[in-house]
Amino acid sequence: MKRMIALLVLAYKQIVRHRVRSLLTVAGVTTGIFLYTAIQTMQQSIAEVTRSESGEDTLVVYRENRFCPTTSRLPEHYLAEIRRIPGVAEAVPIQIAVNNCGASLDVITFRGVPPENLLAYNPEIEVIEGSVTDWKERSDAALVGQQFARRRGLSPGDTFEAVGVRVWVAGIITSPLPQDNNVAYVHLPFLQQASRVGLGTVTQFNVRVENPDDKETVAASIDKLFAGDSAPTHTRPEKAFFAQTARDLLEMVGFTRWIGLGAVLAVLGLVANALLLAARGRVMESAILQTIGFPRSAVAFVMIWEGALLGAMGGLIGSLSASLFFRWQSFTLGNEGLTLALNPSLGATLTGLVVACILGIIASLWPAFVASTQPIVTSLRKT
Amino acid sequence: MTAPFITCRDLSKSYRKGRNIITPLEALDLDVPEGEFLALMGPSGSGKTTLLNLIAGIDRPSTGELRIGDTELTSLSRGQLTAWRATHCGYIFQLYHLVPVLSAFENVELPLLLDKSLTRRQRRDRVRQALDLVELADRADHRPTELSGGQEQRVAIARAVVSNPGLLVADEPTGDLDRKAADSILSLLRRLASEFGKTIVMVTHDAQAASAASRTLHLEKGQLIEKATMSPNPQPVSPSS
Repeated sequence: MKRMIALLVLAYKQIVRHRVRSLLTVAGVTTGIFLYTAIQTMQQSIAEVTRSESGEDTLVVYRENRFCPTTSRLPEHYLAEIRRIPGVAEAVPIQIAVNNCGASLDVITFRGVPPENLLAYNPEIEVIEGSVTDWKERSDAALVGQQFARRRGLSPGDTFEAVGVRVWVAGIITSPLPQDNNVAYVHLPFLQQASRVGLGTVTQFNVRVENPDDKETVAASIDKLFAGDSAPTHTRPEKAFFAQTARDLLEMVGFTRWIGLGAVLAVLGLVANALLLAARGRVMESAILQTIGFPRSAVAFVMIWEGALLGAMGGLIGSLSASLFFRWQSFTLGNEGLTLALNPSLGATLTGLVVACILGIIASLWPAFVASTQPIVTSLRKT
Repeated sequence: MTAPFITCRDLSKSYRKGRNIITPLEALDLDVPEGEFLALMGPSGSGKTTLLNLIAGIDRPSTGELRIGDTELTSLSRGQLTAWRATHCGYIFQLYHLVPVLSAFENVELPLLLDKSLTRRQRRDRVRQALDLVELADRADHRPTELSGGQEQRVAIARAVVSNPGLLVADEPTGDLDRKAADSILSLLRRLASEFGKTIVMVTHDAQAASAASRTLHLEKGQLIEKATMSPNPQPVSPSS
């Protein structure tokens, strides 16, 4: 252990005193790991949506063959009929208004719900600023998701306008469900009028079933009930609904895996190249170390520590800056009304750091072998 | 009569270069008593440095015996030889070969870094003593580029003696220095032999440098050809081969 620390200190001195070489290498690693962490953040964020967003007991009733909130229109009076279907525990009508139905990095989503139903249906929501009472009392009031508020710099008492709807911020909410953190909840009648959809029309119904095992049966019953109506429905478990809506996002984010892999390979090549050049430039130095009693393994470990430290330095800066960048920018990726907040997580940051360290070590193995296996006498003759 | 500190018997070194077998050292016998300052002279390719590298344990003989103190070097594994070098032999190079990114202090400290028996304080004390010995304590924080050639070589000598080895080998230690600096280095080496009992084997082309040694041997074509005269102020001398 004592030896390892001594070699680590020696490697550290080699790094800080070869300033230009080290700075260039760390800058390269930082860039690669920034990219890698950014992609990890996107992937983890979308995985989070498809994993935790969807309650096991929840169905989404949408207009058949419609894929965007602006085209899915259902009569609000369906609510009473849905509630009568056996197996339905609760149902809530929701009007959704978005500024952009296609893929976008800045989606603004309003969810109109009956004020008396919001907390009963979404008990996970917690008001962290402002009050629910204010929201209930004022028809143009909005409860704004934490992420949305941060992105737009909103606090209680502010007003803002989007999608042609002007609202007053009554409170800021947070929820374990990422979707709730990216929307503004408003009163259903207000949104129906403000978005010119008209009273009595909603985008969808969210239905909670009494027994999760009955989801499919209840969904089939709902669709069958309205099959002959003017607005037939397509009812799916929330998970399937998100999965379908997120399909384009998944494809887009899936493609970025290759960019992530490219970033990893770039880091590997960069550190390996820097260390190999260092090993070749230090042939004599390695021979001197061996001459004065450093075992080959010690010479190799100096190089391996250098790789690990370069990786750790670049990884730390790269992963932290990526996390801070995403936190500062509060990006929200959206498609067809589904919003996906690109939230940096500790896991993604740590993954970036660990990957950088591992890459640094892997990249140093060959240079370490080169440095430690040169015959001493041959190296000394190269003077 | 005490046993010699260095004993070479029938020592040969051969290696293959292309299709040819090169034999820089052939059936060499040599005894060096403890505390002697021995100079090895000879033309280029005579085998001086090869002999020095064998004695320093950084190369292995093809045949023969090589005993230093109580240790038969030819019987040691590579790892054992490395450990032996760390504690028994200090090497002084012609071009000093200090690690450029380390200060004088850190360069001298290098051989002690892997010695688990030393505390940090003991290590630092040893380094300071070594730098005091070469009169460079005031340059401890200087990097090699901030030192003159003579000072660099003094630091290299401090690095060679810091682990208190019984044997010092020097490959043309004054070859890159002006006369004044060379004299200073030779005087230091002579002091290490006379005051501290170090056995020193020095390769040199310079007759004046060789005259600082207590004995000079000449090599040609891998064999000792002559016993030079003893220095007027010799160290204890024992019969050589």
